Amino acid sequence: MDFLRTATHFTRRPKPIAATDGDSVPGVQVAERAASEPSLAGEASPPLEIVAGPSWFAGEDRALRVDVETLEVALPEFRAIPVRLRDIPVKTTGFQFPESPAWGLRKKKDDNERSDGEHARTGEATAECDPARAAEQAAARQAVRKKLTRLRPPRDIVKLQDRLYYLLQPPLEQLVGSGELTFPFEPFPYQFDGIAFLFPRYAAVLADEMGLGKTMQAISTMRMLLFSGEVSSILLVCPKPLVTNWQRELRVWAPEVPVAIIEGDANRREWLWRNPAAPVKIANYELLMRDRELILEGGLHFDLVALDEAQRIKNRNSTTSEIARAIPRTRSWALTGTPVENSPEDLVGIFEFLSPGYLTPDMNLRTIAQAAGDYILRRTKDMVLDDMPPKMYRDADLDLTPEQWATYEKAEKEGVVDLQEMEQELTIQHVFELVLRLKQICNFDPVTGASSKLERLVADMEEIAASGHKAIVFSQWVNSIDQMRPALERFNPVEYHGRIPHKKRDGVIDRFKNDPECSMILMSYGAGSVGLNLQFCQYVFLFDRWWNPAIEDQAINRAHRIGAAGPVTVTRMLAMNTIEQRIADVLDMKRQMFDAIFSDADGPKAAGGLTREEIFSLFNLKTRSGKKIG
Amino acid sequence: MAQTSQSELSIGFYTVEQSDTLGWTGGYLVLNHGGRPLEFHCTLPVRPTRAHEILYGSTLRAHLIGERIGGILIKQARVQPLLICSDQPEALRLADHLDTPVALVGDPAGRLETHVPTIAAEHPKHALRIEARFATRVRQSLEQMADLPDFDEPFTRIREAIREAQQGATARAA
Repeated sequence: MDFLRTATHFTRRPKPIAATDGDSVPGVQVAERAASEPSLAGEASPPLEIVAGPSWFAGEDRALRVDVETLEVALPEFRAIPVRLRDIPVKTTGFQFPESPAWGLRKKKDDNERSDGEHARTGEATAECDPARAAEQAAARQAVRKKLTRLRPPRDIVKLQDRLYYLLQPPLEQLVGSGELTFPFEPFPYQFDGIAFLFPRYAAVLADEMGLGKTMQAISTMRMLLFSGEVSSILLVCPKPLVTNWQRELRVWAPEVPVAIIEGDANRREWLWRNPAAPVKIANYELLMRDRELILEGGLHFDLVALDEAQRIKNRNSTTSEIARAIPRTRSWALTGTPVENSPEDLVGIFEFLSPGYLTPDMNLRTIAQAAGDYILRRTKDMVLDDMPPKMYRDADLDLTPEQWATYEKAEKEGVVDLQEMEQELTIQHVFELVLRLKQICNFDPVTGASSKLERLVADMEEIAASGHKAIVFSQWVNSIDQMRPALERFNPVEYHGRIPHKKRDGVIDRFKNDPECSMILMSYGAGSVGLNLQFCQYVFLFDRWWNPAIEDQAINRAHRIGAAGPVTVTRMLAMNTIEQRIADVLDMKRQMFDAIFSDADGPKAAGGLTREEIFSLFNLKTRSGKKIG
Repeated sequence: MAQTSQSELSIGFYTVEQSDTLGWTGGYLVLNHGGRPLEFHCTLPVRPTRAHEILYGSTLRAHLIGERIGGILIKQARVQPLLICSDQPEALRLADHLDTPVALVGDPAGRLETHVPTIAAEHPKHALRIEARFATRVRQSLEQMADLPDFDEPFTRIREAIREAQQGATARAA
């Protein structure tokens, strides 16, 4: 639409003047209004001719003339454009998860819970909560809402649905708290972490320091896997002396799970192996070899095989390792406090069971640590137990008695000479025999029976027994235990070593635990260093040092473990200036290698024993020509 | 061991995550009475256009949470739960289109604005707000789901699952 506008042109603009007397000037007002009001097209608007009145044009003769003309102005055309707003596009993805009927186990509601349910109410009567009460309830809920442990899918699970299945599971604390699974004691937070670590893993090493409850964590995870329907057949392999310990722990932590101990003659064992009524079967390592054919070729299959003290398979060429690796299975777990004893190859050996070929011996430490990281969980007591009683080491650096020293010097001098004369015929076995002979002299003089270590032990035991405490004494040799027994009779010691039949061992432990007159137990490292719970003891004596500090740690942790009554004092006896001191120095260096692999584990470290080269280097052996031997 | 029916004893949890970079992502998790997952549905990130932002204005959030995303997600699920919980007040609007009651978790004092009047569903364990018309049904549902110890915690699972799904999508795209 075009509009015509009337433009007004003044040929001469009036000069404004001030009114002299404050009166208005009618003639000028009319003229100005006429000039400012445009006319619409069609209305004939003749040029205005305004004649000045008598006021401010009075001094001029010319008339004011206004020319008006019409212009055409083009304006844009307005149009309505409809905008169609589509729905915001939403794309979805969805997953469904199987609901295991086993989880339908409902706890029997106790009176308190029933009371809670009866209190639950909804409706107008409670439409607006009492603010104070609401705050109280919120505070209570907040107090209950402590740390929650979630299952995390391991890196090797790649399918999104599988990863979400684990991520969307309830926190483990809810399973315990809701009564779906009852626990005799509430696990420590780090134990929940351990369960969350094991649960989703098809290959895992639980490498916690001894005493942190690897057994409990493994059993609880097995129990959850059984109840969730993810597994239905489990084989647990452990050293023979630990079978009863596992059986006992299973009764405590998974009382509703049927367990079969593989034992008896061949027919009975075959029946037990195939018994579907027991989803958990326990076998010892020796049995694996005896029943090899049945296990490997008998059509058995296990959803989970767990190896306790898995360092037993560190040697990939051993028969035990070969059989363990060949057991038909879906999941593989290794439980060990010492995944690396002598060299990183130990870990490679364990991984041959978990995931063959994943680690190789030619990998360097850093590569092994990175590759194995997602499969290994290792915690030490210092890392996870703030309230764990302290473990105090007391190094008893003792001088040999004069009789011992004379015998020792003579034996070492003659022994070294004998070794050097053997030259090329010298073997590690010869050196090893000398080391053992010297270590035994450090314990007892073979001629007189004198022993500075025994003197010290008796003196310490006087105080320990008088204060009503109990002590564990470890030695490498049963013969040394025999020699120390007479001097210790008044402390009523019991013994636990290779000469004690397996059937009597539980009785020995019971007496040590329950007889107040029995103040000490004499143990060999071999029999007593694993699997026993002696946390009521507050004193541990290492009468002689084992080759491998990891074994020593295991021994010490019989007493220093969860439930320890108080600080545990560990007395490490060391004969100064002898072979014992030289071995201790070498072992200290080995701990550094362990650190390189488990670098984020603080506190006491476990490491391996002596290698062939290290044993040779204990004596500065040289040929007559001065060439180094070994 | 009695097998329980999924549809009889289940509860839904619904929330929407918003991010400036990704947009709006909804997650819907259905749990059984023991807190175990039965179903999980999530959206790809939803990005409203500029036109949506202008024309919906301040009602865009309510539309996305209370109608668009929630409506689609909940329809995807096969299991119909006893109750749907959300930690976002806008989700209460979903009840207008569903047969299932919708409850707001974690606002016992009712300070948040909702489009309908709500009442507190007082429970020793859980703080919920619901529309008064659902009072009886919600009370019965809470009694049936008494084993579920925490109504806040499942939202953490949903958010982690959304992150996991987004990371997976990113990894596949890379």
